[in-house]
Amino acid sequence: MNKEIKKGTIHPLTLLAEEAYKAFSEMGFEIATGPELETEWYNFDVLNVAKDHPARDMQDTFWIKDSKGEVLRTHSTSVTARAIEQAGKDGRLPCAFISVGKVYRNEATDATHEMQFYQVDGVMIGSIEDGVSLANLKGVLTEFYKKMLGEETEVEFRPSFFPFTEPSLEVHAKFKGRWLEMMGGGMLHPNVIKNCGLNPDKVQGFAFGGGLDRIAMIKWGIPDVRLFYQGDLRLNQF
Amino acid sequence: MKISYNWLKWYIPEAPDRDKLADIFTYHICEVESVEKKEGDTIFDINILPNRSHDLLSHKGVAQELASLLNISYTDPTPKYKTPSSVATNLKIDIKTDKCRRFMGRVVRNVKVGPSPDWVVNHLESIGERSINNLVDATNIVMYNTGQPTHCFDLDKLEGGIIVRPSLKDDVLNLLPSTKNPKGVVVKDKEGVMLVCDEKKPLALAGIKGGADSGVSDNTTNIILEVGNFDPISIRKTAQALNIFTDARKRFENDLSPELAPYAMRELSTLIFEMFPDATFEDIVDVYTVKQKEKKLKFSADRISKILGLEVSVVEIGNILERYKIGYKNEGDVFEIIVPPMRLDLTCEEDMAEEIGRILGYDKVKPIIPKINFTPKVNETYIKMSAVRNELRSKGYSEVMSYAFCDKGEIEVMQSASDKKFLRTNLADGLKESLKLNKINSALLEMKEVKIFEIGSVFKKGSEETHVAYNEKDGIIEKTLDELYQAVTAGVFSSGPRKKSPDHSENTPAVTANLEKFKMWSLYPFISRDIALWVPESVVAGDVEKIIRENMGELVVHGPYLFDEFKKDGKISYAFRLIFQSYERTLTDLEVGTFFDKITNKIKEKADWQIR
Repeated sequence: MNKEIKKGTIHPLTLLAEEAYKAFSEMGFEIATGPELETEWYNFDVLNVAKDHPARDMQDTFWIKDSKGEVLRTHSTSVTARAIEQAGKDGRLPCAFISVGKVYRNEATDATHEMQFYQVDGVMIGSIEDGVSLANLKGVLTEFYKKMLGEETEVEFRPSFFPFTEPSLEVHAKFKGRWLEMMGGGMLHPNVIKNCGLNPDKVQGFAFGGGLDRIAMIKWGIPDVRLFYQGDLRLNQF
Repeated sequence: MKISYNWLKWYIPEAPDRDKLADIFTYHICEVESVEKKEGDTIFDINILPNRSHDLLSHKGVAQELASLLNISYTDPTPKYKTPSSVATNLKIDIKTDKCRRFMGRVVRNVKVGPSPDWVVNHLESIGERSINNLVDATNIVMYNTGQPTHCFDLDKLEGGIIVRPSLKDDVLNLLPSTKNPKGVVVKDKEGVMLVCDEKKPLALAGIKGGADSGVSDNTTNIILEVGNFDPISIRKTAQALNIFTDARKRFENDLSPELAPYAMRELSTLIFEMFPDATFEDIVDVYTVKQKEKKLKFSADRISKILGLEVSVVEIGNILERYKIGYKNEGDVFEIIVPPMRLDLTCEEDMAEEIGRILGYDKVKPIIPKINFTPKVNETYIKMSAVRNELRSKGYSEVMSYAFCDKGEIEVMQSASDKKFLRTNLADGLKESLKLNKINSALLEMKEVKIFEIGSVFKKGSEETHVAYNEKDGIIEKTLDELYQAVTAGVFSSGPRKKSPDHSENTPAVTANLEKFKMWSLYPFISRDIALWVPESVVAGDVEKIIRENMGELVVHGPYLFDEFKKDGKISYAFRLIFQSYERTLTDLEVGTFFDKITNKIKEKADWQIR
């Protein structure tokens, strides 16, 4: 028996990340990766987060000791911001990027909160004439959640607020008859576009981001977010 | 913010029914935290978004928003207010800080502290607030109604006029007690926090909380009404440093328009006049140092349509602006509006796109998959990770993830909710723990040998690197992603056999919504039992498995699975493993023994089957 080696199992978050990358690649997105130790500039300033915004508090963000202005990234939006900045420099507009990565928040852990988790973050920008719009955001996310949660999945937008987008939306998906909050998104705020070295009078686009762990928990019915990081192979069921 | 349906109906008698209203909040304004149906009233707890806290942290604001949104009539009660006649005043107000933009004060004489009228008590209690006394309640009613915090001082406890100034080192101020701080906070040894003072002493922590010694008490007969406006950043910093949360703080730190103050002063005066028709009102003293400028904003219907991906006409926009009573002019599709003073959130064209989008409803925006002229490049890091992961999996390694935090390392975080404040410098330590855990469960996992790996970031002084770690027996091997990738591509990473048939799904996982259900494991220990037996060669494993399955009871969580078989002298030996485990308790050997005996007894009934 066992003459042939049995293939090893995959972590469910990796499986989901692969599925996400595939879904977005099919829609023309480029995969972007970036550092987990991030500068205050890319984590907050570029994204139009006010200097005194509560998200910058030590109670929410992991600031690095003896290294001024360095944080563990609190979202992977820092990666997509870096990506559009570079694309602008390289003259690669319109463009679209998708990033799945680990992010960190300083909070007490429980079944639905972790200090580290994965986020899927995307952005698409182009000229005003390209007209990358909220309708496009809805199109892209509807396609994505259909692939994640099944063909019958619906997506709707509700009003929200984030410093980096305007308009800002909460993205909800209907799964098994219930509307669930999945991520945040909207059109990139003109200040973000400016901070990425582009001209908001000439460029517009959308951005979105949300927890991958949450999608996994909903999709497979995994009861506790902490199970993902125990190194326990019993988790690898898919 | 808790909103009473009855309170709203004062202003919008045609308000839609309660269930409909919850949906209107959700899809056009903000999230509804809860809806509580009480006797005779319904309370909506809604999460006003930060950009609307200038105008919507109030019943009046919400009512106005709903009236415009739904195009229903708004009843303005102000013309009906009874205005007290007013006499000359000696009140002096001096602002000595640029963090106070406006301060309105008014002396009122001949009042009497006592219980509030019933309607005041009911309104406060409906939104979960406690009635304190008529004067304090009046200030609270005005805040929940208009959004403007206000305050009452006992005039007779003041020495000289009012001065708003930064604190000096020797200022001491006892704040009023609250449910959170029943003893009240003492402000001392603080320099530079904004105080409302008289000529001798501090009276209140400006915009945050009143002082215990200057507030109204049972004997109060003469008062000063305060309606101020303060710099939001200053308020937030002070309140945060002193760890004080009040409704006033919440409103000021989100920024209020100084233009709101006169409305609130008028309302507060009216309310106190209603309570004390014999009171003497003195003239309002209004020191308005940092005037809010009128703001104009330009936008075009075309750009709004492009942002939303929804064709919005000039007529539709004009109609919305009229409903919201926003002054505008337009030339073709270009609009210029005069931003209402309370709407501090409207600063750019995109803000108007949001306004129009949410008012029309985002359900009008239909999904369109974009086609853009962009050629994605290959991401090197991703390619390397995938290649290494596939190689390891093909060698039978399974993937785990562990925590990036540990109790020693080279990089430390400044503050953490956990005791692990360092970032890992290696993956090996985490993998060792994982190995230990999975070895205990190896029978459960049907693994002869536990083979695991992790790919992740490690952090050293001045660098972040992606590493890969995997085990070889009990040893951990850790390499950088680049090193291992080179070894994989050069074909020199091959200490063991690969999985024979290449699996095409390795690089392109099938995107199908895989909706299998996760099965949570039991947190109690399991007991593993093996059963091996000789049977004639004609007997297939499935026959044996069937007998075992029929007799093993309900506590087998895994198995029976065949882990060994061999032939000898016309007979065949099968060995099966069963894992017993309960989701409710720790099983005893005795209990498992009973089931096991049942299986062995059944097997013994077969003449040519022998337990080994």
